[in-house]
Amino acid sequence: MIKENAEVVVVGGGVIGVSLAYGMVKKGAKVILIDKVDNRLTASRGNFGLVWFQGKGKGMPRYVEWCIEAIERWPEFAENLETETGFNLNYEKTGGLEICLGEEEHQERVNFIEEMSQASRSGRYDCEMISRKELQGMLPKIKLGKEVSGASFCSHDGCVNPLILLKAMNSSFQQKGGSYRPEQSVQKIECSSNDFKIETGTHSFNAEKLVIACGLMTTKLARMVGMKVSVIPERGQILVTERTSRVFNYPTAGIRQNYDGSFMLGSSHEAVGYNIETSYEVLQNIAKRAIRILPSLKNLQLIRSWAALRVLTPDQKPVYLESDQYPGAHAITSHSGVSLASIHSSILVEWILEERIPLGFTAFHPKRFNVQEAI
Amino acid sequence: MNSIRAPKFDYIIIGAGPAGMAAAITARAHGLSVLVLDEQPSAGGQIFRNIESLEATRNSEFSKLGQEYEFGSSLVRRFKKCGADYFTDRSVWQIDNNLQIHHVSASASKSNSVISHCQAKRLLIAVGAMERPMPLPGWTIPGVMPCTAVDVLYKSSGLIPDGEVVLAGSGPLLLLIGCRLLDVGVHVSAFLDTSMNGALLKALPLLPNALRSHKYLTRGLSLLWKIRKAGIPFYSGIQNIEALGTSKLEKVRIGKSGKFFDVTADLLLLHNGVVPNVQITRNLGCEHRWYDVQRYWEPIVDDWGNTSVDHVSIAGDCGRVAGAAISEVSGHLAALETVYQLGVISKVERDNLSQPHRIELARQKHVRPFLDKLFQPSKTWLVPENDKTLACRCEEVKVSEIRETVRMGIKDPDSLKSMTRCGMGYCQARMCGLTVSEIIAEEKKVSPEEIGYFRVRSPIRPITLGQLAEIE
Amino acid sequence: MFKKQYESHETVSIIFEGKNLDVEIGQTVASALLVGGDMVFRSSVVSGQPRAPYCMMGVCFECLIEIDGIPNQLACMIPVREAMKIKRQQKNKE
Repeated sequence: MIKENAEVVVVGGGVIGVSLAYGMVKKGAKVILIDKVDNRLTASRGNFGLVWFQGKGKGMPRYVEWCIEAIERWPEFAENLETETGFNLNYEKTGGLEICLGEEEHQERVNFIEEMSQASRSGRYDCEMISRKELQGMLPKIKLGKEVSGASFCSHDGCVNPLILLKAMNSSFQQKGGSYRPEQSVQKIECSSNDFKIETGTHSFNAEKLVIACGLMTTKLARMVGMKVSVIPERGQILVTERTSRVFNYPTAGIRQNYDGSFMLGSSHEAVGYNIETSYEVLQNIAKRAIRILPSLKNLQLIRSWAALRVLTPDQKPVYLESDQYPGAHAITSHSGVSLASIHSSILVEWILEERIPLGFTAFHPKRFNVQEAI
Repeated sequence: MNSIRAPKFDYIIIGAGPAGMAAAITARAHGLSVLVLDEQPSAGGQIFRNIESLEATRNSEFSKLGQEYEFGSSLVRRFKKCGADYFTDRSVWQIDNNLQIHHVSASASKSNSVISHCQAKRLLIAVGAMERPMPLPGWTIPGVMPCTAVDVLYKSSGLIPDGEVVLAGSGPLLLLIGCRLLDVGVHVSAFLDTSMNGALLKALPLLPNALRSHKYLTRGLSLLWKIRKAGIPFYSGIQNIEALGTSKLEKVRIGKSGKFFDVTADLLLLHNGVVPNVQITRNLGCEHRWYDVQRYWEPIVDDWGNTSVDHVSIAGDCGRVAGAAISEVSGHLAALETVYQLGVISKVERDNLSQPHRIELARQKHVRPFLDKLFQPSKTWLVPENDKTLACRCEEVKVSEIRETVRMGIKDPDSLKSMTRCGMGYCQARMCGLTVSEIIAEEKKVSPEEIGYFRVRSPIRPITLGQLAEIE
Repeated sequence: MFKKQYESHETVSIIFEGKNLDVEIGQTVASALLVGGDMVFRSSVVSGQPRAPYCMMGVCFECLIEIDGIPNQLACMIPVREAMKIKRQQKNKE
């Protein structure tokens, strides 16, 4: 058994784990990051790369505020990473769209914005409806399909290259002295009064603090340190086309044109368990909808497709938890790991390292689920 | 799910080369409904490419190709008459778990008059082999091609190279094609033998003794004789090859024993062996094993070609590469197994009917291990020493970038793909998959077997969004 | 770069980069253009470097070219047709 010590061990090499580990080494902590590298389950490599605000947080105003704060930190966060690593994250904050087809979708969107405005403390929701005409005006280089009825626009929204984000955070983490331990899977955690001993097949890591941020495996590991965190998988399928000239300059949740000119299309929301197969019908539906919105996409070659599993808590909002039974052990799980990377690597890191609890933090405690979580 | 029309067949065969055609013939002989889907415009696979037209319209060239081609021609005739449904220009892009198969024409501009879905009870993958990629600096310059490309051009279009040709590589196919080029008067300005330790030269004296089926190698012998006779420069023990030129190939820089010299060239033809095309078997989730002698992955199969995936079998060179004769036999055997599995014949009948094929297999089988050992690919040509070589042609990812990423702690090919874009291009890692596994393996000092291969996802080949959405 | 070893039998007329080419029926677009002496089909989408057909058997996807207004068609797998319009593609051209 190889023995290693650190102040903090982070379990989970996805975007959340890495952003926490990265933020911690920037604060001077000695950190070990354990990464199972299990391709079958990684949301971090299979997501759409949105740095997104609109549409989130219904029913939890604190989360809406959290999202805005994260987005406001993003430009500086991205710039720091680029300076530190030389990698280009291709972060673009152009504002984002949700495009509506037909009258029903349009009305639904109008209603949603209204509800969110009413629920917010300021009475405002930073998202406005735009007409089809205005939308076409924003997209001079590509024609909208005839069913497009309008869209909602949010100036906070943007997108990034999520793979380079992951690579950059990992690289900067290691450059700043962080220890990256891939191909390690946690078998056992022993808790004593002042530290944790984490055992994988080949290593034994000792640390004062433990952070569990391993996506769908969070439930299992959190249980080892007295925390109940329940997450379920939700499948999403994505298509990527060949590159073409840049004509679509705003990301949407279902269509975005990457920096290199390829179009990314999604997505689906399927409760199929741990199944990451793609399916003909879903891919076809995604293609059909994309063509209804932008008819000229029909001649683009589809080159790749994949399915990945989102990691969802019961209300799809973050769970940030410190163990009562074993203080020093934390569990962090969230959808939107990309959008929240800026705030995870800063405010959450302060919570973990310095015990600085953010305002309204109890909103993120899993006791809000109110029922005995059956694990 | 099944709101789409998907005609059902007992047996669907992908690939109309020797293996696929033989399987169709045998399956039809036992009354199965058979559908054959092939990408090419005519039957014959790679080896018998365009054979019908060759025989009909270019008979003098056809007869020079040798007896093997007479057999091939007869096979194609029997295939055409066997009663299988046979569609050309069909590229399979998705195979569902229940063996529903989705296919399209290679041409996106053609309106899809053929129903693009079908349903199999049993599936045979007979898609054959491909050239092992031979990455070297400058290999993307126009004018560098694998040697089989000129074989294709010759057979399907009667084209031969015009200008200075340099042949480089190792393997029986290079010898064969080299022979053919010299026969038609092509100007070969150098032959660069990259075989390990000059294996070819060392082994030549041993060849006739070791083999009963020696046609391949006596042809090879005659090539070396032809080369010597024509005074063509022959270099063995080459350590470096670099293709140079701005918008097209101008010269080839050769490194041998530390010395470098240039040869003028219009066309550089490469060959480093042939490997199974595992794109579809990988996509289906079949288990593969690493064949270390020839350094490639092959699907794990039993004696009947059954893979680890139910109802899916393979035949021919998309498994252990063994050439046309063995491919044909394996097609017959795979079909007999299917006929048995579908309850049309008993196990005993299957075994009896397979006897002549097993005997033929035994007869042919000893050649290949010898050739495989003789023409083992050498490390130099699997993992380019020159770091600026493009490992991934489509996304232009250099060998150096892959090495750096591995040193960051990334060992798994799919993670590496995320980090570098290697394998994300049009060819869907067909041209870089093996190279990537070799590079990672070398960095980690393990066998590529431990490293694994990219995950192969749908679409199995690119299709347009319009084709996917099935709109006109 | 390549020359035909025998006289064409039946031909069709295609248009490559605006000029008429008589090519033998049954050829693929790739081989038809190679006879004409034109090796370069496109420029790479990443760096713009010139690219030409490589494997000729539908594996490498180098021979992508615009046919009848639709880009990125696999030239080595598509037979020529009367009045086909073929154009080279520049990096990221729509």
